[in-house]
Amino acid sequence: MTIVSASKLVVQNLRKSFHSQRSVGPIQVFDDISFEVHPSEFISLVGPSGCGKTTFLRILDGLIPRDGGTILLDGAAVIKPGPDKGFVFQDSSLLLWRTVIDNVILGLELQGVSKREARLKAEQYIALVGLRGFEQHYPHELSGGMQQRVNLARALIVDPQILLMDEPFASLDAQTREIMQAELLKMWRQTQKTVIFVTHQIEEAIYLSDRVVVFSARPAKIREIVNVNLARPRALAIKRSREFLDLADRVWSLIEDEVLKSMGREKEEGIL
Amino acid sequence: MITAVKKAPLLRLSWRSPQASGALSVLAGIALWQLVYDGLARTGYLQVYAIDHFFVSPWQVVESFAELYRSGELVRNCYFSFLEFLYGFLLSVVVGVPVGFLMATQEKLNNFLDPWVSCIYATPRVALAPIVVVWFGLGIFPTSLVVFLGAVFPILLNTYTGIKSVRRNLIDVVRAFGGSRRQIFLKVMIPDATPAIIAGMRLGVGRAVIGVVVGELFGAEAGLGSMVYLYSQRFQPGPVFVGIVILVVFGILTFVAVEKLQRWLSPWYAYQLQRKVQGMEME
Repeated sequence: MTIVSASKLVVQNLRKSFHSQRSVGPIQVFDDISFEVHPSEFISLVGPSGCGKTTFLRILDGLIPRDGGTILLDGAAVIKPGPDKGFVFQDSSLLLWRTVIDNVILGLELQGVSKREARLKAEQYIALVGLRGFEQHYPHELSGGMQQRVNLARALIVDPQILLMDEPFASLDAQTREIMQAELLKMWRQTQKTVIFVTHQIEEAIYLSDRVVVFSARPAKIREIVNVNLARPRALAIKRSREFLDLADRVWSLIEDEVLKSMGREKEEGIL
Repeated sequence: MITAVKKAPLLRLSWRSPQASGALSVLAGIALWQLVYDGLARTGYLQVYAIDHFFVSPWQVVESFAELYRSGELVRNCYFSFLEFLYGFLLSVVVGVPVGFLMATQEKLNNFLDPWVSCIYATPRVALAPIVVVWFGLGIFPTSLVVFLGAVFPILLNTYTGIKSVRRNLIDVVRAFGGSRRQIFLKVMIPDATPAIIAGMRLGVGRAVIGVVVGELFGAEAGLGSMVYLYSQRFQPGPVFVGIVILVVFGILTFVAVEKLQRWLSPWYAYQLQRKVQGMEME
């Protein structure tokens, strides 16, 4: 039976718990999460810290097994990681012994594409992320923002069906971060990829996304999905508009409850 | 932004360069040695107390060197010692790297081997050398074995630590692309652990040179260690110092060679270290 759906990604009744040595029973990370993502949609996941956003993204990729539930990408079940999904990691996850271009071709190389052919293709993606001229540089010669550009090019070169981004700009300074956000939107328009973007910055989530999924505190559920009806393309100045600030307020008030709740629980568990 | 990496010229011919200062320091030390000897020789104490049976001048060391070279004794001893070093050290690498890797990746094997590694590592090699000679007799093999026992552990343990500390997120990168275990091994684990493995080899060469001398002290057909021992028993310090100087120079050369290997195999690592050091200074 094939599932006919206009959705790019379908998540149904996803469950996950961890076993921890510190607690008696398993810790429920999330219980029964369901949502759908349309093709070429930009979705952000926000929530109180420690709610399992990153875990969720890793499960979507197949890096971590799930306890139950279904993930369908283009109608096919996601079981393991693979080049149909592009993962952009949080910190610098570049191979330090490889030049920019050789980092970018990694995904193709792992698929058995010859290095020569892969390098030819890499030029196009290096240009896309604005790093032309830096092909032969090593990661230690690049700034944090440039390293994340390489990360992005590396994820895009395998032409994934969906891009999963795990707080990619978390370690950047505020200015670089803003520039990278605008650049990311530009690349997103050019490549038409479906993106799921995890962040703890509400403002970043709203600026980038079509919809913002707000997670509750652990065990995480979807608290609400907020539609962002801001016109595109969005200039950075939009962040100071009335509409934008109202949205940010709304998302923040949703999260605030959850943050307080999770702080209360951590106190009970003796973590704080 | 981009930091320009300045390349040092191969040879800086300035008197202020660190190399020149180092060379100057060594030359001054040798000159002082010669002066002290000449001074003693003038006083006559040299003969009265038979000091020349224990102490020589640098020039006499050079004379002994020439003599030993002419007789062919030196070449033969160097040849023996070098082979012992080579066999012992190569065996250490061939055994230490794979065993260290397996111990780091196979938990059960690690539990099984760990007590043995700890025990033999904790045993002073000097205490093992006599029994090795008793078991295996004289010759190149027993001394190579002593060399091996000295050099294998730093290599093994560094390989273990290197593999254990491979960055988890880099493994995930390869996994995320659907890479196989073999690809994780080849594309991430080996390159990321290489600096640690080579650091182990650098410690290993030092231990290996010690192993050559220790092994030969307890009995050998030939070799620099046995030469040093033999001539000190005969109260002839000239050849003793020839042996010591050659061992020192050899030790330094092998150390530098491994360092070159490091820079050649993992040029990125030096920069990373440099950055770490700078970061610590700033804190």
